[in-house]
Amino acid sequence: MYTTVRCGAYRAAVLTMLLACIGHEKGLTAAPDAVDPATSPAALKTLTLEELSQIEVTTPSRQPEQAFRSPVAIYVITGDEIRRSGVRTIPDALRLAPGVEVAQIDANKWSVGIRGFGSRLSRSVLVMIDGRTVYTELFAGTYWEVQNVMLEDVDRIEVIRGPGGTIWGPNAVNGVINIITKNSQDTQGWLASAGGGNVEQGFLNVRYGGNAGDNLTYRLYGMAFTRGPEYHQDHDNFDDWRAVQGGFRMDWRPGARDTLTVQGDIYTEAAGERVSATSYAPPYSENVDGNADLGGGNVLARWQRKFSKGDDIQVQAYYDRTSRFEPNLAEIRNTYDVDFQNHLVEPGRQDITWGLGTRVSNGEDLPVVSGLRFLPPRRNDYLVTAFFQDQFELVKDHVWLTVGTKLLRTNFTGVEPQPSVRLLWQPTSKQSLWTGFTHAVRTPSDADREFALLGYIETLPSGIPYLARFNPNANFAPEQVNGYEAGYRRFFARNLYLDLAAFYNHYHDLFSEDITGPTYLETTPLPEHYLLPAQFRNDLLGYTKGVEISPAWRPVHFWRLQGSYSFLHMNLTKAPGTPEIGTVLGIEGSSPRHQATVSSGLNLGKSFKLDLTYRFVSGLAAMNVPAYSTGDANFSWQVSRDLSFSVVGSNLLQPRHGEFAGDPGPTVEIRRNGYLSVTWTK
Amino acid sequence: MKAMRARRVHQRYMLYALLAFLPARLIAAAQPANQGAPEYQIKAAFLLNFTKFVEWPPSAFSSPSAPLEICILGDDPFGPALDQMVEGEAVNDHKLVVRRIHGKPSGGCQVLFAESSESELDEVLGSLGPGVLTVGDGETSLSRGVVISFVLEHRRVRFDISQRAAAKEELKLSSKLLSVARSVPN
Repeated sequence: MYTTVRCGAYRAAVLTMLLACIGHEKGLTAAPDAVDPATSPAALKTLTLEELSQIEVTTPSRQPEQAFRSPVAIYVITGDEIRRSGVRTIPDALRLAPGVEVAQIDANKWSVGIRGFGSRLSRSVLVMIDGRTVYTELFAGTYWEVQNVMLEDVDRIEVIRGPGGTIWGPNAVNGVINIITKNSQDTQGWLASAGGGNVEQGFLNVRYGGNAGDNLTYRLYGMAFTRGPEYHQDHDNFDDWRAVQGGFRMDWRPGARDTLTVQGDIYTEAAGERVSATSYAPPYSENVDGNADLGGGNVLARWQRKFSKGDDIQVQAYYDRTSRFEPNLAEIRNTYDVDFQNHLVEPGRQDITWGLGTRVSNGEDLPVVSGLRFLPPRRNDYLVTAFFQDQFELVKDHVWLTVGTKLLRTNFTGVEPQPSVRLLWQPTSKQSLWTGFTHAVRTPSDADREFALLGYIETLPSGIPYLARFNPNANFAPEQVNGYEAGYRRFFARNLYLDLAAFYNHYHDLFSEDITGPTYLETTPLPEHYLLPAQFRNDLLGYTKGVEISPAWRPVHFWRLQGSYSFLHMNLTKAPGTPEIGTVLGIEGSSPRHQATVSSGLNLGKSFKLDLTYRFVSGLAAMNVPAYSTGDANFSWQVSRDLSFSVVGSNLLQPRHGEFAGDPGPTVEIRRNGYLSVTWTK
Repeated sequence: MKAMRARRVHQRYMLYALLAFLPARLIAAAQPANQGAPEYQIKAAFLLNFTKFVEWPPSAFSSPSAPLEICILGDDPFGPALDQMVEGEAVNDHKLVVRRIHGKPSGGCQVLFAESSESELDEVLGSLGPGVLTVGDGETSLSRGVVISFVLEHRRVRFDISQRAAAKEELKLSSKLLSVARSVPN
């Protein structure tokens, strides 16, 4: 009793710290960018036959009209936007989309969230690269530091906010991030880029794209980088990062109807980190600085056949292997996935998409410290999905109704239906209104169900340690959301566009941390210790609501201005009468209430470009991270057709600032960063 | 009197054309050379351009002022681009118009475009009278009997010409068109 009272105050902190120690899929288009005047139909028609023969074909994401007509909150970050911003990682590129909260934890870790619930692994966001899910069943989420893509070859990143993207895959509770690389047809020839600076110490990317006959194109690439540590108050610069990656993509079009794509990547990394390692033996808990040795590879094949009328069939299969060796945890995981999809069009009336998919993922966890264990250490996770979606044209050219559902079954759950209803009204060709309802679930992961996680509270005067442990919970249930959304889009003129979206998400059965019984003396494993038993359960509920506004304006053809503002209000509570330890404030206080960005892209004559971005992020109360505003700049010079130089600066408005307290110890601060780069193409 | 008015109207159109043309041209010139465009916008511009380098037999038009129809058989890959380009354009008093058709056209259709995946293509090609500039898409469409076929080469849109098909359609192709073509198999 004495200990319980005495340690009551510690509980919340310790249990939250326990979590801290483990660190905690389809095409649409760009913010309908006012059409580029140089390639507008009006400009093209004035060209001669010879000039037309010289224009490179781009493969557009899809027509802007399609994003304009999507009944979901979507923003497409184009490859061009990414390259012009000068960012070097996918999470930093995601800052370009409204409603996405990106906070850098240290040199190689980010917290990414959509409409709240930002966390290092982005638990409720589905992330895919070229149709391959990179969301891991281990801790439910995405290890962003191993999702490297050669940014020159990125076609676009589609970001769907809210549960509207549920049919593309499981766990798209708060959003989908779909990273799509270019077809190898569009990456022909040589490209090499290299550069370096103070934080971005050095990078080299090389790609070659070739063809074999008229119907087969391919590319090979290799990339490597080394990145220095961010700022540490205690000068413990643990977060340096080095990576090497290579890969290929081949696109073969044996006939007019068929396309076969085969692609793969392989990588190895050393990402410095500070983790907390807990064990039953003294010193029970310590922060360890060391490298996470990360490696992996994947290969994917996708066959698509198109029929007249717009019908198509697609079959895709992939294999993905990841290995992580961290100072407190190690895992090797092999994932096999097969998907089938069929699209049936009845012009002017219906547009049906349905599909089936299955995935098997086996993870093997190797013991590193006694305080972090998966039980059993070798596990097979599987899931089977089916989805069906039908879009009806209720009023020709004006009103569309989309209904659909996804059915999901995993080794942890029964069949979970995830229905969605959406309505789009386009009163004129210049404006559209949409609204939608979706029910979605986040499926339990190994960490929710089969994880034993130990934390150290204190050593009692008797010399016996007092520990707390999250025990596996075989009853952990899927997290549930009912999402209500609406949006409005309008072209005020050919060069002025506005996108508005508002949402209300109601959650229940959310992940919680519960104390499950009184402290007792445990004798196995030795040495004997007092143990406060705990579990991950589903005892939180509540709602989030918010608004996202993103205007785009092109006052003149060489200048593009873009802005976004996102407001988020989170209101969570623990289910009455449950022994939840009080994580609500921590969750609510880890997502910014206000975010705003303004960016300007200016073409100065034929050869110079200047891109400037200003961003404001409000403070994170739970992490003691104050509000900040900072700016990025990229000045680039196209010396000749083959050669260009860039000077990039990020986080320019102050020497350093904190964004997220995600590592044990003092908050790592993000430094002002500058680098120079040169790009050569042939 | 009538002739004078016609000339004035013509001049006005010339001016409009110039106004529309100049800024676009300047903007195009101001862009870096490697600026790209969507495939079907380029193809639409080609289609429009072809009409200037082809001479149709008089029988192809019902009257000297009848419109010159660019017909798209089946699926329309151009979206609004072709309509935007054709708007207000004319060739030798024939106003250009775009028509979307399914199955065999009933007259008109001086230009007929079809994607190679179009199942009706062979059937429609067999049923056409002379005077139709048939344009196909992809390497294989020339062998199916079209006059001009778009091909992609090094990410650029090029075209091949079948002179035999052109002769069969009684079309006269300008030497300019033949010289820009990628290949003109015999």
